Amino acid sequence: MKILETIFLLILVAIIMAAGNTIGYNINFISSLQALAILVVISIVGFLISKLPILKKLPVILWVSVVAAFVSSPIFPGHEIVVQVTDQVSLLAICTPVLAYAGLAIGKDLALFKRISWRIIPVSLAVFSGTFIFAALIAQLTLHWEGII
Amino acid sequence: MEILRDYRVHLLALLVVAVCELIGRQTIWIITIYPMLYAMIIGGMISLPKLKILKEKNMHNASAVMIVTLMLLIAKLGVAVGPKINEILNAKMALIFQELGHFAGTILLGLPLAMMLGMGREAVGATYSVAREPNIAIVADKYGLDSPEGRGVMAMYVCGTLYGAIWMSILASIIARLDIIHPYALAMGAGVGSGSMMAASLAPISDLYPNMAGEIKAYATAANLMSSVLGIYIYILFSLPFASFLYNTFSRLRSKKSSQKAGDK
Repeated sequence: MKILETIFLLILVAIIMAAGNTIGYNINFISSLQALAILVVISIVGFLISKLPILKKLPVILWVSVVAAFVSSPIFPGHEIVVQVTDQVSLLAICTPVLAYAGLAIGKDLALFKRISWRIIPVSLAVFSGTFIFAALIAQLTLHWEGII
Repeated sequence: MEILRDYRVHLLALLVVAVCELIGRQTIWIITIYPMLYAMIIGGMISLPKLKILKEKNMHNASAVMIVTLMLLIAKLGVAVGPKINEILNAKMALIFQELGHFAGTILLGLPLAMMLGMGREAVGATYSVAREPNIAIVADKYGLDSPEGRGVMAMYVCGTLYGAIWMSILASIIARLDIIHPYALAMGAGVGSGSMMAASLAPISDLYPNMAGEIKAYATAANLMSSVLGIYIYILFSLPFASFLYNTFSRLRSKKSSQKAGDK
C-alpha cells in the first residue's frame, strides 16, 4: 500500500474511532481525538520504520508495538503524557471499527468460508481447550517447582 | 488513493460503529456481549452479496482498511506495555514458561485434528493461536488475508467471537471441578490473549474457590499481561513458523505413506 494513502487512512479511521469512543464511553470528542492522534503518530512511525531497507523483513505491526512500548516506557521523556492521553480511548472503542471493516469485507469470503465451515468448529474447540489446558499444566509444574503451591 | 475515496465503505463503517456503540455492551446471564461483536454481524449483513449494497471491489477496500485499523489497535495495546515494563522484567519464571503452554497447546491439539479433517494450509492460520486481533494482523502481514492462512485465521476469529467465551467458561468449570490443578495455575491458564475468554474462564474458577478469589484474579491478570507482551513476539517468531513447519512435515509424511501404498499395489 502506498505510504501517503496509508497515512490518510490512519487519520480517517482514527476519526471514526474517536466518534465511537465519544458515543460509547462518554469521553469528549476532543480528548478522544488527542488520544488517537498519539496512536496515529506511533503507527506512522512504526509504519515508516517497516519501510526501511533490512528492517522491512519484519512485520509492520511488530514495529508499531515496539514504538508504542518505547514511548510509554520510563526511558522516553514524555512517557507520562503518552500514557495519560492514550488512556482516554478505550481498547473496546478501537476494536469496534476494526470489526466493522472486517464485517464489511465478509461478503467476498462467504463462499470460501462455507467450504471449511463444519470442520472449523471441532478444530476451534480443540484450539481453545489446548491453550487453556496446556498453559495451566505448565503453570502447575513451574509454580510447584518454584515452591509457590 | 482509491481506497481512501471509497466513501461508501467509510460512511457505512462510521454508521455501523455509531449504532453499535449506542447499543453498548449487554450482559446476558454470565455472558457479556460487546459492541465489536454487533459491528461484525451488522457489517457482515450489509456485505451479503444478495443485498447488492457493496460491490466486490468495496469489500476488498474494506479488507485493506482493516489492516490499517489493526495498526492503531496494536499501538493501543503497545502503550500499555511501557508502564508495566519493570513488573514484566521481574516476573516469575512461571509466567514466562506458561506462555509455552499457550503456544504448544493450540498447535498440538488443533493442527493434527484440522489435518485429519482434511483442512489444507487453512489449518496453519487456524491453529497457530487463539486467533484474536493481533494474530489476524500477524497472518495478514505475512500471508495476506486472501490467502488460505488468512481464511483460516478469520474463520477461527469468527468462532472465537461467537462461542469462544461460552466454551472457555464451560471448560474451565469442568477442569476446576476435577480438582487436579491448583487454582493459581488454572488462573494463569485463563490468561489467554483474549479479554472476553479470560473473563469467561475466570468466573467459574473464582466461584469454586471464593477464599482465593483475589489471588486468582492477580495471577490471571499477570498471565494475561505476559501473553499480550511476549505473545506477539512468540507468535511471530515461533508459533506461526512452527505451525507451518508441522503442517509441511505432516503432509510430507502423508504423501509418502500414500505413495508407498500405491507402490505396494
